[in-house]
Amino acid sequence: MKTIPTLGEILQAQGVSRRGFMKYCAATASLLALPPAMVPRIANALEQARRPSVIWLSFQECTGCTESLTRSSSPTLEGLIFDSISLDYHHTLQAASGDAAEAARHAAMQENMGQYLVLVDGSIPMGNPGFSTIAGISNYDMLMETIEGAAAVVAIGSCAAFGGIPGANPNPTGAVSVQDLVKDKPVVNVPGCPPIPMVITAVLAQFLTFGQLPDLDIHGRPMAFFGQTIHDRCYRRPFYEQGKFADTFDDEGARKGWCLFKLGCKGPITYNACATVKWNAGTSFPIESGHPCLGCSEPGFWDKGGFYAPLSTGKFDSGEKLAGAAVAGVALGAAAAVAGRRRQAKYTKEA
Amino acid sequence: MDLLDFARGPALQVAAYIFVAGIIWRLVGIIMLKEKPEFSDPRKPGGFMAALKVIYTRSFTAAPFKRATLYPKMLGYVLHIGFFVVILLFVPHIVFFEGFLGFDWPGLPNNAIYLAGVATVVSGLALLVRRLTNPVLKLISNFDDYFSWFVTMLPIVTGLIMPVRMGVRYETLLAIHILSVAVLMIWLPFGKLGHSFLVFVTRGTTGMVFERRGAKT
Amino acid sequence: MSLKEPIRSAIPYRRGNVKPLLNEIIHALDRLLNDDEPTVIDLASLPFAPGELEELEDALGKGELNAELDALGKSLIRETAYPGVWWLEHRNTEGEIVGRYIEITRSPEILMSQDADIGAGRAKLRDSFEDSGPEFNKEAGK
Repeated sequence: MKTIPTLGEILQAQGVSRRGFMKYCAATASLLALPPAMVPRIANALEQARRPSVIWLSFQECTGCTESLTRSSSPTLEGLIFDSISLDYHHTLQAASGDAAEAARHAAMQENMGQYLVLVDGSIPMGNPGFSTIAGISNYDMLMETIEGAAAVVAIGSCAAFGGIPGANPNPTGAVSVQDLVKDKPVVNVPGCPPIPMVITAVLAQFLTFGQLPDLDIHGRPMAFFGQTIHDRCYRRPFYEQGKFADTFDDEGARKGWCLFKLGCKGPITYNACATVKWNAGTSFPIESGHPCLGCSEPGFWDKGGFYAPLSTGKFDSGEKLAGAAVAGVALGAAAAVAGRRRQAKYTKEA
Repeated sequence: MDLLDFARGPALQVAAYIFVAGIIWRLVGIIMLKEKPEFSDPRKPGGFMAALKVIYTRSFTAAPFKRATLYPKMLGYVLHIGFFVVILLFVPHIVFFEGFLGFDWPGLPNNAIYLAGVATVVSGLALLVRRLTNPVLKLISNFDDYFSWFVTMLPIVTGLIMPVRMGVRYETLLAIHILSVAVLMIWLPFGKLGHSFLVFVTRGTTGMVFERRGAKT
Repeated sequence: MSLKEPIRSAIPYRRGNVKPLLNEIIHALDRLLNDDEPTVIDLASLPFAPGELEELEDALGKGELNAELDALGKSLIRETAYPGVWWLEHRNTEGEIVGRYIEITRSPEILMSQDADIGAGRAKLRDSFEDSGPEFNKEAGK
């Protein structure tokens, strides 16, 4: 295994001043949702951290998660790649392809055995290995081969974390999630469709800074960003409490920025950081822009009854079945009445 | 399928079928019974209007009994009114009804609903205590009484816990709340909760019969 | 779309986040005066409604000192109209905001020259006139 320089050594060699490094540490603390008082500890940890090797595997995905990451501004992806991690394999971003790329992947695995991070976006089709392949290798085979020497696996995006849109009803490819397949390595889920870019880099930064993975909730998501529901942090919550709702997308309530519950907002059951961290460097998030939350960081969010069906509507099936139940009621009632009338005849005299 | 999907989907569907079938079963079963024979000439026609009149007047205690029954009567009114306020005037519930009725109506702010809910639970508890401590009531109370009380209180209590969480995740609380409503819907047509639709039949029948017999209604 | 400037919302919606924050700053100033204890508030950790961040910035205003730092991107370090209360905005090399802080202190740490940099600079200065005569080493000018 080759010796990897520490981040401090790398930054010093690049001529980054101490002030620049302090900025970087402050941004990292902010990113990790840590209080500013932790900055000295982060600075200390970062100075001595070594760039981990990162192998990024893209399976059945739309590339939205990579797109989201390239929009990450804090730290910049380029900064993250060149300063913090060694992105040794990413078949969308890298220049090499085919055999050369696969050779690079194997080399990175060998050189960093037991220490590299595997990042996965996209679900894995189990219906037929031919549904999704890279360089002729099926997604399943590549995943199982690559995680052998991995320190941890990070499933990025709802497809990798929970199956996502390929896994939605009727799931024609037999898509499964990373945690369905990886049982003997720590798995961190960073769901979202796509995940907030800052959250992706925060998980990597956490690993880089503290050499450990963040605290996870019951779905394997970092508690720092998926510990609260959108509903509990939404700035429109007072309107929900006051009973002020938008009924349609352009009515008075919508224009006044009232609660979007009636338009199908899944905020109450969705755990994500959109309401606090927001999107596009803190610009806004779907609800602030007037659209109800889709619940995209939750398992099976595509099959929750519709984006515009309010959370409190039942999925009542067909009217015919209900009419059938009514008919059954009539039949049972008639039968009961017949029995009842017989009993009545026995005990009552006719007038 | 997780608990919430089950609660919102199959559980509510089955509950709805049993609810509809059960109510119609009991109504048809009762209405199709033979009328009791009349052994005297009717004093008054005793038609539909008589039925409606008694449905209304039985909401108020007859004068001789007013004093003795004031306490449970008040509690009963708080419980029923609170119950309907919570069900019909809480906006997420209104949205639920809009799902199959097709129309909605204005609701109340959440704080008012919460207050009504708490009042309902408190009066419900007071009535249970009365049932357990009053010797006559204790003697005549059966499984039906206690179970009906339980399935009525459960949705309200679970609903009141939801904003407070008490350490449980929201989607779990929502699933439990919806399941408790499903249980209520399944039990309601049978047992004493059937009074919710049968009270009109019983009061109406009493009204018609009594008026024909010339009794004061 | 540029991320360089915060987008000002058309309908500002006051949610009352600003007043408690100003109150917190007052308490931090007390700690600074009485115990010499500085405070840093990370604005990214607070959920602002649209328009509230601007409201906060306007409430604090501009003071006598305005500094621009150029390290891994530009940073603005400004003392607000209230001495001891500093507004910091860090941007990366792309010009995007990577951090916003309010520091209640006599002088933000990042304004001060850092030991590591001083040491490196001294070495460079030494090298600059050891190699050749009065000519500056091109490297030293970086």
